[in-house]
Amino acid sequence: MPLRAARLAVDNAMKNTVTLSPELEQAADNLIQNLLASEAFLTYQQALVAMNSDTDARGLLELLSTLQAGLRHKQNANNVTQTDVEELRSIQQQVQANPAIMAYAQSQQEAVNFLREVNQEISQLLGADFAALAKQSTC
Amino acid sequence: MNHIELNELDIASPTVVRAAARDFAAALADTPQFKAFESAYAELNKDTAARQALSAYQEKSKSLRAVLMLNAVSETDRAELERLKAEYVTRPTVQAYAAAEAELTALCQQTAGMISQAIGLNYAASCGASCCG
Repeated sequence: MPLRAARLAVDNAMKNTVTLSPELEQAADNLIQNLLASEAFLTYQQALVAMNSDTDARGLLELLSTLQAGLRHKQNANNVTQTDVEELRSIQQQVQANPAIMAYAQSQQEAVNFLREVNQEISQLLGADFAALAKQSTC
Repeated sequence: MNHIELNELDIASPTVVRAAARDFAAALADTPQFKAFESAYAELNKDTAARQALSAYQEKSKSLRAVLMLNAVSETDRAELERLKAEYVTRPTVQAYAAAEAELTALCQQTAGMISQAIGLNYAASCGASCCG
């Protein structure tokens, strides 16, 4: 399919909001409800709630984010020390040892895997990759 | 961590979810945008001159790849490359295909956006479609 080739002709992608037909809207809503009721997504939602209610997990993720941002600034200034790197590694290890965070990460991966299977089902019937058509071109 | 057992009766089996996915695909395939896209694609495939124009552009572009990377293309080569590109993109079948594709893309983005918002995961990114691919 000459998708890439024809994109030569479309430099500005359409950004307008499209009105969906009632049939398509209903089918999309039905798919959403079924996805949300699937084991993969129920587990993912439970793991998210559990992680968000775990003070240790939240604290570790906030600390990791702060350290990563600080390290990026220091890298830009060419000012990273061995202590900075060791501190980051230590927090990364604590994150990887936190059961709530790891359960969330694992469940998210399983939800993503299931979503890919669903996309394959859609794409097979369409004869075109639905996810590729749906991607936002930002570069 | 509080672990709540999932009630099997409330779970949609993979078979049921896949059936919903097929229904969604069928509804999408039934839209005017998808039908227009298929039709434009078929017309483009029939357009031999468009295929030749594309091939000529790609060959020229390939032959200039190294100098293009160095931004050292001569004016003559650049003009030739632009001419070949214009020859392709101004073909009515190419323009019709590009317009149909843009319409379909907008529709797919809209529906995938709905799904992403509801499930809490970016549909296109999760399914491996990078923004630069």
